[in-house]
Amino acid sequence: MSIRAGALRGVFGAPVSRYDQASALWLLAPMLAVLLVVAVFPVLYSFWISLFDLRLTRPHRVPFVGLDNYLEVLQDELFWSSVWRTTSFTLMSVTAIMVIALAMALLLNEEFRGRRFLSAMLLVPWAIPYVANGLMWKWIYDSGYGALNGLLFQLDFIDKYMVWLGDSHKTLALIANAFVWKEVPLATILLLVGLKSIPADLYSAARVDGADLWRRFVHITLPALRPSFMLVMIYETMMAIRHFDLFFILTEGGPAEASHVLAWQVYVETFRKLSFGTGSALAYIMALVTFLLAFWLIRTLGRKL
Amino acid sequence: MARIRLESVGKRYPNGFVALEELSLEIADREFVVLLGPSGCGKSTTLNLIAGLEDVTAGSLYFDSTLMNVVPAHKRDVAMVFQSYALYPHKSVYENIAFGLRMRGHPRAEIESRVKDAARSLEIEPLLERRPHQLSGGQRQRVALGRALVRQPAAFLMDEPLSNLDAALRIAMRAEIKKLHHTMRTTFVYVTHDQAEALTLADRIVVMREGVIQQIGSPEEIYDRPRNTFVASFLGNPPINYLEGTLAADGARFVRGGLSLALPPELSKKIGAENGRQVRLGIRAEDVDPRGTGETLQGRISSVLPVGSDQFLGVEVEGTTLFFRVGRELRAAEGENVALSVNMNRAQIFDSSSGASLLWK
Ligand SMILES: Nc1ncnc2c1ncn2[C@@H]1O[C@H](COP(=O)(O)OP(=O)(O)OP(=O)(O)O)[C@@H](O)[C@H]1O
Ligand SMILES: [Mg+2]
Repeated sequence: MSIRAGALRGVFGAPVSRYDQASALWLLAPMLAVLLVVAVFPVLYSFWISLFDLRLTRPHRVPFVGLDNYLEVLQDELFWSSVWRTTSFTLMSVTAIMVIALAMALLLNEEFRGRRFLSAMLLVPWAIPYVANGLMWKWIYDSGYGALNGLLFQLDFIDKYMVWLGDSHKTLALIANAFVWKEVPLATILLLVGLKSIPADLYSAARVDGADLWRRFVHITLPALRPSFMLVMIYETMMAIRHFDLFFILTEGGPAEASHVLAWQVYVETFRKLSFGTGSALAYIMALVTFLLAFWLIRTLGRKL
Repeated sequence: MARIRLESVGKRYPNGFVALEELSLEIADREFVVLLGPSGCGKSTTLNLIAGLEDVTAGSLYFDSTLMNVVPAHKRDVAMVFQSYALYPHKSVYENIAFGLRMRGHPRAEIESRVKDAARSLEIEPLLERRPHQLSGGQRQRVALGRALVRQPAAFLMDEPLSNLDAALRIAMRAEIKKLHHTMRTTFVYVTHDQAEALTLADRIVVMREGVIQQIGSPEEIYDRPRNTFVASFLGNPPINYLEGTLAADGARFVRGGLSLALPPELSKKIGAENGRQVRLGIRAEDVDPRGTGETLQGRISSVLPVGSDQFLGVEVEGTTLFFRVGRELRAAEGENVALSVNMNRAQIFDSSSGASLLWK
């Protein structure tokens, strides 16, 4: 040990810990540079933009307006209804994802015939890109030749083809359904990893201590799974809040404003109305809300680990 | 409270591996039985069958006169201490100990007093609010013991509970476990591959090898009257020495090359007069005396290993190296010749080919 420490000091003339820190920085430098360019700069730049009344319909005049964009956004009624729709979409999706993923993970953690096949099938939705997933569901939900209509019609659940996405009461749930289908695999795998890391001895001990299957689940599985569960839940919550692709492909916020969520609002402000100032302000508000939510979740739920 | 009886019990794992074949064993109430054997011989398997953690695939398992084969683990009144301790990581020490009582629906006040009592007797009272990861190995071990003893189970099962402790602590805990057995007055089944543990703790030792019981008996029986070379070799430190040779003079002498040792009449009577029979003479490491008289072994010292109070001598006799334990007062140096008198009353004689004892059946 002392020989190695001495050697390092000989080469760099510094104690080992300082050497470690400096070399760590050097090793991280390329990645830091990339992050600076692709992450930090856009984040700061969009904040900068959010302080100006930048409209591409009027590109020659860009007055500095301070926080006016933020005030404007917050006073918009559509903003608040979008917040509400985003919230309900997120609650629906995340609840469904967590319940289904937990059930799937528990199932796949058992030995049974066909487990490998099921695990492989599970990966399919995960492998499909978001846009392809959107197009697939657009086809499934189609009012003229959609698979959902075909299936339900043949099974006699409906007597005529439905315009699924045109029903403003159902739109959000149907989009959530497509989102859940896409997200469940990753959630399942992360939970499964958590399950696999629980030592088998704990179950043996609990069995000898007199705990039946349900109590073993409550007293061993659930507490041990809590970190993975939290991680997945926070991740999926953030994914749901910010989700855009399906809204863009399936409904464009419609019918009327039935699926007009925050992410869609950002898109409309920025790329339809070409008002980059308010668009950036909106995006910033979303980021802040997401961040605070994640922070709150980690603090409250995470602490009970 | 519980007599444990295994009748021709077999265990075949789902992958087809047969870990136990026709194992029969009867453990009396309040007995301390140690399952002893090398790694992989099926000790843990046997214990898990008793606990109900694995299913018996052949034969019958009884507690007293109740057939237990299909009774699930959580309905058997046994407690178990695991080698890994298996403490519930997210529960406090108090909750760990209380868990078994909670699961069995004892009233809160009773649980509290029993947990406190157990903690007091194991001297872990100050640790009750801690989590397992905040404990040392020895403390965890105590909590694991506490979790088992608080339930006052009909049988206490332990799977190498001390193997993760350092040597000094292990010896201290051995004494505590022995004390525990006296105060608890229940059946103990204890698994180890450490012969010293088995010899100190057991009322009876069950020596196992590849899923088959080799011998069952008190520590003295197992040590002094091993039924075969496997049992003889498994106990003793350094292990028993063997010399291959033949019987002569109507079973009264053991001969190997230039070496000829007289067997005491009691031994030769047991063997019977079989001149020329190939046998293996077993001499325990401590059964020699550098100053004694009588039958002596002559040899050249090939190694000297001091071990505190004693020293181990490697001695070359008739082409094989034997290891003996002698006192420090013998001034021995490598390369010297030495004459050691053998206590032939304690010698063992085995059949050369089968390894079965010719003295003890
Ligand atoms: N689940 C299992 N499936 C198949 N074979 C197993 C299984 N568990 C144990 N075995 C095998 O059964 C034999 C006995 O195992 P067991 O765990 O009872 O040994 P042990 O005597 O406790 O050994 P150790 O001292 O190493 O703990 C071993 O050969 C082992 O490989
Ligand atoms: Mg074992």
